[in-house]
Amino acid sequence: MTDRKPQILIEARAVSKQFANGTQALKQVSLTVERGEVLCIIGPSGSGKSTLLRTLNALEEISEGDIQVNGHSVHSSGADLNRLRTQVGMVFQQFNLFPHMTALENVMLAPLKVLKQPEAEVRARAEQLLAKVGLAEKAHSHPAQLSGGQQQRVAIARALAMQPSIMLFDEPTSALDPEMVGEVLEVMRALAQEGMTMCIVTHEMGFARAVAHRVLFMDHGEMVYQDAPAAFFDAPRNERLRTFLGQVLKN
Amino acid sequence: MKKPVDHMRWLWHGVYALVILALGASLYFASKRIDYSWRWERLPEYVISTEGEEIRAPFDGFVELSADGKTLTMTEMKGAGRESYSGFSKVLVGQGDLVFQNDVLARKPGMRPGPLLVGLWLTLKISAISLVFALALGLIAGLGRVASNPAARNLATTYVEIIRGTPLLVQIFIFYFFIGTVLQLSAFAAGVAALSVFTGAYVAEIVRAGIEGVARGQMEAARSLGMNYPQAMRYVIMPQALRRILPPLTGQFINLIKDSSLVSVMALTDLTKAGREVVSSTFSPFEVWFAVAAMYLLLTGSLSLLVRRLEKRLAHD
Repeated sequence: MTDRKPQILIEARAVSKQFANGTQALKQVSLTVERGEVLCIIGPSGSGKSTLLRTLNALEEISEGDIQVNGHSVHSSGADLNRLRTQVGMVFQQFNLFPHMTALENVMLAPLKVLKQPEAEVRARAEQLLAKVGLAEKAHSHPAQLSGGQQQRVAIARALAMQPSIMLFDEPTSALDPEMVGEVLEVMRALAQEGMTMCIVTHEMGFARAVAHRVLFMDHGEMVYQDAPAAFFDAPRNERLRTFLGQVLKN
Repeated sequence: MKKPVDHMRWLWHGVYALVILALGASLYFASKRIDYSWRWERLPEYVISTEGEEIRAPFDGFVELSADGKTLTMTEMKGAGRESYSGFSKVLVGQGDLVFQNDVLARKPGMRPGPLLVGLWLTLKISAISLVFALALGLIAGLGRVASNPAARNLATTYVEIIRGTPLLVQIFIFYFFIGTVLQLSAFAAGVAALSVFTGAYVAEIVRAGIEGVARGQMEAARSLGMNYPQAMRYVIMPQALRRILPPLTGQFINLIKDSSLVSVMALTDLTKAGREVVSSTFSPFEVWFAVAAMYLLLTGSLSLLVRRLEKRLAHD
């Protein structure tokens, strides 16, 4: 399995997903993400945006359609998911740090055990990444000793330690106290400026507008509308999006 | 504010002591009313025997004692075997006696473990070995219970349901009479097998609950980093599950020690069987059973103490 370097890193074609209880979570969603692109996905809760994100690294299965990531089909029967996931970093709403390990150990675990890289190299990179997210001095703290914002920044460093070509963010700031949202968004903004390919499910409209190359609106499992951020927020040519934005801005 | 609370605490400690005393006293007076003579003084001998090691006849034959009584020689009845012994403190046979193989000829001086201590040792041994096997079996079956593979899941479920749905005593009989006979197991091996398989089923449920108690996101985070299922289990899920598992696991292993008393129905002289034998030779059932209970309590108490220390160390990590 060689990894080609296509311009299009993610290509989803007519993806549908039905939950076991019959709910249609995704309806014929198609999507492409180019290398270096920052895509923000917004929409009301229950619109299927998190589900869509989770199908990209096969944390969720799909009922129909096809998803190509880095030139490899994700949901075919022969897909090497473990290998694919090393190339797709994921950041969760609830951080999901490993509570029995220090921040540094959290960052080092997967490169050591999955990529089997030498420890000295992994340690150096992990320390560098923790410094990059501003937590060099918290390397030996356990997650329980860190604030939510700090935990999420460690989680970002943990995903970056695998040197992925794509980063997925599933509502990375939704579980944070308001005063901690900024520090996490700042790390993400820096990452975007370095040219990382990112798919971000978020409710932070200001961030989406400032950082995204393209914003996508989902509602009831459908991809309703997508556009460049300026046009998306200032002159949305879609009735449902206008209603949604109206509700969000009112709050 | 602190003083009255302190007073109350001492009051309740006093109430506790009073209740225990009252219970002890009523037990004492109850035993006075029945016609039973307590003979605690005979008990120590069955824990540590001062009678010393026995010298037994190696074959059927005749006894010859030397003039000073310090050497005993056996002559084989049908053959030319001769065997001499010395260094004993007490001779139990006379000059020219006909004795048969395994008859006790004399006793050497010194102390040796009495039947209760020997029984305690067997109980400890069978429990410890069963514990190791039960842990391995329970871990495998517990992982099977949470596996997505239907074969593994159903096998584990069948095992757990069958074992939990039948009495241990019946299982011990099946292991001893059926499986033990088919596989030519010794009574000890059959006992270990029965206890391990029985306890393993309960350990499996404890392991399953421990794994399921770890947040779902942990497995997702591990998998999203490219770990395969065994790696995620080993590095992420199990270390967290272990802390939840430890307290109920201790309880299960205390049960194992107590359940091991049921192997006395096989030809195994564990603590309970030893107790029964001592009762039949002393006719002091009350003292003996109290002593046996105390010895079980010693084993289970040490185990919980050990685990409590381990838990503290885990908590500090």
